[in-house]
Amino acid sequence: MTSTSSLSSFDRLFSVLPTLRKPRNFFLYILPFSIVFGRLIPSSYASALNDAGLAMVQLIAFPAIPLVLSAVMISIANIFSPSNRTPSSRIQFSSRFIVSLSVTIILAALLAILLSIYQSPGVLSPDGKLSIGRFMLDITDIRIGSEAVASQGSSEFWITKLVPSNILADASQGQTLRVITGSVLAGFAMSKLRPSLIQPLLSLLRSVNSTSVQVLNIVLNLAPLVLICLISGAVSTINAEIVVALLNFTICVFLTAIASLGISRLVFRRFTSTKERDSLNSNPVDSVFLLSLSTGSSMTSYPLMYETLIGIGRDEAEVEASASLSLLIARLGNVTYNVIAIMFALNLYEVGITPIRFVEIIVLGAFTGISAAGLTGVATVPTIGVALAYFQVPIPPVLVLLLAIDPILTLPRAATTGVLAMAISVISSSRSIASDNAEKTDLSLGLLSKDGEVPSYEGG
Amino acid sequence: MLARISGTLWRLLIGISLVLALSFPFKADAAENSFINAIQDRGFLRVGLPPYNTPPAYYIDPKTKELSGYDVELARSLAKKLGVEIEFDRTSKSFNSLVQRVGANDFDIAIGKLGLTYNRLFDAFPVQYLSFRHALLANRKFVSNLNVDPDDPEFASVLKNSSIRIASISNSTWETEAKDRFPNCEFIGYPNWPEVKDALFKVDPKSKKPIVDAIYRDATEIKPIVYKNPDLSLEYVPILFDDIIDRKSIYLSEKGYVGFTDFLNVFIRREWGEVKSDQQILDEYQSYYQPSVD
Repeated sequence: MTSTSSLSSFDRLFSVLPTLRKPRNFFLYILPFSIVFGRLIPSSYASALNDAGLAMVQLIAFPAIPLVLSAVMISIANIFSPSNRTPSSRIQFSSRFIVSLSVTIILAALLAILLSIYQSPGVLSPDGKLSIGRFMLDITDIRIGSEAVASQGSSEFWITKLVPSNILADASQGQTLRVITGSVLAGFAMSKLRPSLIQPLLSLLRSVNSTSVQVLNIVLNLAPLVLICLISGAVSTINAEIVVALLNFTICVFLTAIASLGISRLVFRRFTSTKERDSLNSNPVDSVFLLSLSTGSSMTSYPLMYETLIGIGRDEAEVEASASLSLLIARLGNVTYNVIAIMFALNLYEVGITPIRFVEIIVLGAFTGISAAGLTGVATVPTIGVALAYFQVPIPPVLVLLLAIDPILTLPRAATTGVLAMAISVISSSRSIASDNAEKTDLSLGLLSKDGEVPSYEGG
Repeated sequence: MLARISGTLWRLLIGISLVLALSFPFKADAAENSFINAIQDRGFLRVGLPPYNTPPAYYIDPKTKELSGYDVELARSLAKKLGVEIEFDRTSKSFNSLVQRVGANDFDIAIGKLGLTYNRLFDAFPVQYLSFRHALLANRKFVSNLNVDPDDPEFASVLKNSSIRIASISNSTWETEAKDRFPNCEFIGYPNWPEVKDALFKVDPKSKKPIVDAIYRDATEIKPIVYKNPDLSLEYVPILFDDIIDRKSIYLSEKGYVGFTDFLNVFIRREWGEVKSDQQILDEYQSYYQPSVD
């Protein structure tokens, strides 16, 4: 009797979680509940909540590497296989992808610069400076002679982060950039083999890919709990005074995410035909935005992007390649965030901003943003140190301030990456040859079109 | 009869001689600590204090117009234990001259956050009662221009060998230490601490650059600057040297060191509560380090 009742409550909980996962419910229930809960709980519980949230984030991130590995290898093998494509279509896709990726990076950085000029993050009132100063007391002191902590990996030449050594070891160590380059190389090598040789490997990779997507769908059910833990923990401990002092910076990051959503919607409208859009009941860009925003991870929107673009008849290999590479390499959320953070630091230390410096900010923002590939959450913030060192702006106080409000800004950063990666995929992927046949089939994207939820994925 | 009187006188004489002979050794014992005896005979303890105001260590309380602070209270408690009154002398021109004067027996003790240097050991004898870390309050831009991450183990040696412009009080332990610890530094001396602090914010009118890169003293003087004005944390950073300890000491003359060190050590252990660290002092006297309310 007891076991039956406990089983039913367990079942009930797991039936509620997928419902709560819908982005609409994030704003209506999860966010308000988490904020109120965070205000009510003692701050001593915040650490336990935060740890629980981070553990679940780790779980959500765990299918990412096999997903990337398989998606990139399959797509590159398909694109470069002589039997699948003509050289001209291959060049067309590659050039479309590279150009759209580069242009989007530059435009995203420009957008962030323009919003930073408008919003002036880092220009503080005397009260704001006092709040920041109070927050930094004792935290940024330099201690000499205590046990020195050797800086890890700082001397590593950047290109070594890209060169794969052992793809399985790199995957197990979470070296995403190395996994991507290794997968591209392996995919390219596969395309040169006889079809009879690569078919078993392709089947295996497809299975790995499908399994990873299914795992992602299952663990995404934990997203509401992750959010409750992380937001409550952050609300309980975050210094409200700092959030107010850095309000311009926070608003600027959110505005960039919203502007990116607008741009991505325009791109989707411009680069899809009416017929393609008619097959959808809701705007997929909004769904990608909300899903990334509500989970704080752009990678979670990959299945949704994939399913949407395949659903409207885009070439599967091109979608797989462009979606996975743009999500992982471009890291556009980090690019825009880093540009705003550099502007924030320069304003904070009253460094004069000249047209040449704008170019430097764009280049360094893009470079440091892309170098954050494979990193998640607060781990992405220190990548900005290279840019700050270039401008000879004190690094520790800026990082301390950025890290203090990062629990809030992780969400719009992920949303920006998600929607702009969607835009790149829409631009670079072309219509599939078999799309005419596909049009005849039912293209209703059930889960996506009804409520913006991640669709279930049944393999390629 | 005469013989009886003579015998009685002889016995009396022998008795007096015995009493006197027995009483002399006791008198010799009591005279062994002539230093303490001299203080007690005089009726007051002569204490040399620096001619500055350094709250919360020693300063004239603006309300009561009386000497206050933990160094002053320590000296008063010491006098009380000796059962004497206290007299403070603040006529020394500098920290170094204060130490020289106690060495020349102008006072019984010299106190007032006096650091320990080789030069002072030529003049007087120290008994440690505080343990303060050396500290700099440095301009963050100067630290950034060193191009070494402060977490990097190399940072300490790069900083120490840099051509940093350090300001502190002239003729103090800080001048000696700055020149010793930072061999390539340019030391800029000021007559007192308020002028040193002002120097940190002064800009050269021609080059429009700060005239000093950092000011140098112990952690209990450096940290309160940012505690009182937290907005300074954006521009300036305290650099705390965990491995360079300033052994703040009470100084004695040679005679005082022989006669008074044991008493002083027992007093520090029992009444003062062991040798205190800068963090203990910062915690204990927190009210002095709160932000100034305008």
